[in-house]
Amino acid sequence: MEVVCAGLSYRSAPLEVRERLALSGEAQDLLLGQLRDQGLEAVVLCTCNRAEIYAAGPAAAEALEAARAALCERGGAQAQPHLYEHGGEAAVLHLFRVCCSLDSMVLGEAQIFGQVKDAYERAQAAGSAGGELSRACQAAFACAKRARTETGIGRAATSMASAAVDLSRRIFGDLHGRPALVVGAGEIGELAARHLSQARCKVVIANRTRERAEALAAQVGAAVRPFEELHALLHSVDLVVSSTASPAPLFTRENVVPAMKARRHRPLLLVDLAVPRDVAPGVHGSAEGVYAYDVDDIRQVIDENVAARANEAAKAEQIVAEEVARYVRARAVRDGVPVLAQLRQRAEQIARAEAERTLQHLPELSEKQRKSVEAMGMAIVNKLLHQPTAKLRALDPSGQPSPLADAAAELFGLEEAPPKAAGGKS
Amino acid sequence: MTYQLQTLALHAYLSAALILLWHLVRPFRPGPPLARVLGVGGALLHGAGLGARLWEQGGEPVGLAQACSSVSLAVVVISLVVELRYRQPVLGAFLLPLGTAVLVPGLMGDSGAVPASVKAPILPLHVTVALLGLAAVAAAAGVALVYLLMERQVKLKHFGILFSRLPPLQVLDELNRRLVVWGFVAISLTVISGAFFVRGSGPGLSWSPKEVATLAAWAMFGALLMARLLAGWRGRRVALLTVAGFGVLLVSFFSAFEPVLRSGGVH
Repeated sequence: MEVVCAGLSYRSAPLEVRERLALSGEAQDLLLGQLRDQGLEAVVLCTCNRAEIYAAGPAAAEALEAARAALCERGGAQAQPHLYEHGGEAAVLHLFRVCCSLDSMVLGEAQIFGQVKDAYERAQAAGSAGGELSRACQAAFACAKRARTETGIGRAATSMASAAVDLSRRIFGDLHGRPALVVGAGEIGELAARHLSQARCKVVIANRTRERAEALAAQVGAAVRPFEELHALLHSVDLVVSSTASPAPLFTRENVVPAMKARRHRPLLLVDLAVPRDVAPGVHGSAEGVYAYDVDDIRQVIDENVAARANEAAKAEQIVAEEVARYVRARAVRDGVPVLAQLRQRAEQIARAEAERTLQHLPELSEKQRKSVEAMGMAIVNKLLHQPTAKLRALDPSGQPSPLADAAAELFGLEEAPPKAAGGKS
Repeated sequence: MTYQLQTLALHAYLSAALILLWHLVRPFRPGPPLARVLGVGGALLHGAGLGARLWEQGGEPVGLAQACSSVSLAVVVISLVVELRYRQPVLGAFLLPLGTAVLVPGLMGDSGAVPASVKAPILPLHVTVALLGLAAVAAAAGVALVYLLMERQVKLKHFGILFSRLPPLQVLDELNRRLVVWGFVAISLTVISGAFFVRGSGPGLSWSPKEVATLAAWAMFGALLMARLLAGWRGRRVALLTVAGFGVLLVSFFSAFEPVLRSGGVH
């Protein structure tokens, strides 16, 4: 049984096509049920950037065709030209790369791992995550965890708000309990407040419309201060993230420098995510301990982080290659073992039967001598099977299943391994 | 034997420093623990070597080389403690080379006896505290230099390797404060204990270059701590003053061994 994959992603299909395959939870359950009824193991992965079906069945070609047909049925004729298909090791490699976020739009983003896990759990609940696919998914999760811990692929921030928090850590270290002011409660302000709150800062929100600030504060567990107190707040907060639509700068040398005296030169970091700027250009370095960064600076930080992630991605690809090879080897051993077991079982049966027949003609033998004859039969079996056993256990260095298993089954007239129950656990 | 132990320690420090420098450029997980093991192992060997030597001398410290070796050991121990306390292995990439460099003259060995003019029961304590103070201030100066380096990255908006891997500014500033406090306490004790055996003529000051430099350094660090406490000084100017104070203290250190240096160097 081998894993196959059919699907489309942001790499192969435009948004309007991906939208057609953005299946609801209910639609995914229906699809999983349909594939399970066809005797296939299946996992359906639907995110905003990809729609994929991973399937496994007794015949790989049929499984692939069923997955492709299911996607075409739901995505329509428009989806068909954008579909890609992977079989055998390529399908496993694709699953591992997706799980490790190596195929993501934002390299190293953390959400995809959770999304694949959710998809797998949904398939389990629907009874369509069979033995082979289960093993492939578990191996992919282990690989993703290894890539996260052994490389820095997910370490550096790649969004404006998270980069702002990262920047604060370069100046203040641990942000736990550090007073932070978020100016503006728009989309960026909201993200910044969430990130700062997650970093356990003491967040204060100031917005021209107080109601909006209060709504956001309730969501992130922050306090609200009047917008008019903005400059007074500079005395107490260490970090300011500003993202208002103000046409003129809110923070200038004239209000920051006096605040620094009141702060007794404690460092003050102003991160300006607004365009036009909320922090005037001359503020950075206007007094000792004043650091101000604008959108372009943050973009530069993100670019550095993306470059760093790309370096780490090469290491993660190496880990993926190792883990795929390990998975393929394990599968090859699983495939080869039934043949070995049958071969040994058959040979031992013959040896025992022949020894018994011989002993019937030699009633005068003592118990010790009878045991010696039986042992001789088993010794012949062991010696004869030693080499074939070693060869069958030895794996192809490329990770492919050993073709010798099939040859041995053919040569010794062994039955094929009993097929696994359709869609069931093996 | 003591020489061999200290040479082994030197190699361990050097290896640990190189590992941490490599870790700074290209982080790798086994680097910091490996450097820690080498650092601790080196310090144990170093301590054993130095202890054996002092034992041979009946507990009386002799010469510039032993002083350098002691300061080196103290700097390495401070570096290990700082790494453990602040979880900033990158700091070791700066402090360990400092400890290693100071150990090089320490290996040259020296002989002779303590001049009768300064012999006093309190001498071992005086020297120990003085050397510990110098080590604390040396480490503070090392941390101050890292602060200046990091501050430069932050101010010039250079978001490269140093920006992302050096310790945060505030952590460096706080560490500098603590080391300066310890250094100041040690220098104060040195001044007080030293005043008791000047020229064997009872308490007082001889205004020798060593004493003048020590008092100047003491005054500088005292003023620095007062400025921190009362005027909220911190950051760049404090880092610069720490480095300057260390320079003054070095003058005091070498002045203490001036007769040895003038009479043909260290043996």
